[in-house]
Amino acid sequence: MISNFFASVGAFVLGMVEAFFQALSIAGRTFRGVFHPKGRARGEVLHQMYQIGNRSLLFVTVTLGALGMVLVFQVCLQINKITGDQSQVGPEFIRGMVHAFVPILTAMMLATRVGAGIAAEIGSMTVTEQVDALRMTGVDPVDYLIVPRFLASMIMTLVLGIYATVIVVLAGALMAHTAFDVNYNVFFVFEKITWGDLGVGLTKLVVHGGAIPIVSGYCGLSTTGGSEGVGTATTRAVINSSLTVIILDFVISAIGLMTVQSGT
Amino acid sequence: MAGNFFAAVGASVLNLCAEVGGILTLLFRVLICLLPPRFDLDETWRNLHKMGVRSVPIIVLTAFFTGGIMVIQAAVFVKKFGATSLVGWGAGYAVFREIGPMLLGLMFSGRVGSNNTAELGTMVVTEQIDGLRALSIDPVRYLIVPRVLSMIVMLFLLTILGDVVAIVGAALFGTVLADVSLASFWVSFSQNVHVADVTHGLIKAAVFGFIVALTSCHFGITVKGGAVGVGRAVNNAVVAAALGIVLSDYLLTYALP
Repeated sequence: MISNFFASVGAFVLGMVEAFFQALSIAGRTFRGVFHPKGRARGEVLHQMYQIGNRSLLFVTVTLGALGMVLVFQVCLQINKITGDQSQVGPEFIRGMVHAFVPILTAMMLATRVGAGIAAEIGSMTVTEQVDALRMTGVDPVDYLIVPRFLASMIMTLVLGIYATVIVVLAGALMAHTAFDVNYNVFFVFEKITWGDLGVGLTKLVVHGGAIPIVSGYCGLSTTGGSEGVGTATTRAVINSSLTVIILDFVISAIGLMTVQSGT
Repeated sequence: MAGNFFAAVGASVLNLCAEVGGILTLLFRVLICLLPPRFDLDETWRNLHKMGVRSVPIIVLTAFFTGGIMVIQAAVFVKKFGATSLVGWGAGYAVFREIGPMLLGLMFSGRVGSNNTAELGTMVVTEQIDGLRALSIDPVRYLIVPRVLSMIVMLFLLTILGDVVAIVGAALFGTVLADVSLASFWVSFSQNVHVADVTHGLIKAAVFGFIVALTSCHFGITVKGGAVGVGRAVNNAVVAAALGIVLSDYLLTYALP
């Protein structure tokens, strides 16, 4: 029983380490592919930007809007219990959104939607031997499949993150106004945001956006077996890209806290 | 162009209605099987192990870093006001009520929900479900109800574990990164965080488990068209589960004390 437990923990860790190094190798080849554009189909980046960005618009609007309302509700509820002074809610909420919550929540949502989509698509291609056909024609699947998705996802996560910030702040202001009578003028105060906050938030968005297609592309390319394999690959893509986003978010937050945000 | 646009909007609305209707029909069939409770106990036991015990590492890892992220956010705030006595309260309140159930629910949906969709989808594609019907075994009783029950129970239990790990992570990272001593973290945490905060989050977790179960089973048993179909179904299932989690979180926040 006990040794079983340790064996399963060990297997989990070993699997993680192996996946980590393989994903790192894919990441390296992706970075190289970005600067040596050969074998990339024309207009593919734009097509992927549409697939990743435009088609996630409604999803991001609904989820982040609801989250903005919930977070403001919880914060105001707690402040009502303690001091009742709601004047700081807006500024601090907007600041927290910019450097912390919007990057991780948007990226988690996109890891779910985009990560699963990429793994399902590339996994199906692997299973139906289309990836092998690419290799036979001398095209590196990383260059052809992952690099366009990497570029598109980085750009579109940044764009969607900025858009999501607007949505979250509007939804939060609406909630604060209707449920707790906070004046819009008191809520919309942007002076609290420092350049450090903005830098940390935008860095997080770009890094998360780049990590999702690399991790899920790796899961898609390493698919084996038929329909069961595609399902497993998609599952792994969702879980690994979400976990990668959480860990990267933690690392960037810690670095940000110790450097650019330390004085504020 | 404009006609195309409206056609696309109409098609997606119809599609949405079809999926929501399918999920509600499934909900109804699951409830019928529970009154009186008649479902496969062995399958439930297997699923409890597979969904719960196997998810412990990923939940622990997520929760640990979630606690770290929350304490860093609190620290950014605290450094300005010098209010170290608020860190334990802030991290505990945020983790228990919102961020804990939400992030753990999303991870659970990614790990267990999509796995479940893939498994059921593969069964549909390889005609195992038809095989069950041919043996006059109701797939809802045999496959769906055990999964639904296991996910509700296990997400509830995993959230308890995750809450504890997240608070430990927050306390540790608070000491390392924000110069908040363990003692002051504990005082602030134990004096300001109430049982109501914990139950609030745990009720949410049980509802999230139910939502993940229904969406993943629905998209699993409606798979069409081979390996590509399974991949697409998993994709749809996780998106639907994430939407369901966020929207029900919104509603539950009002409904619960």
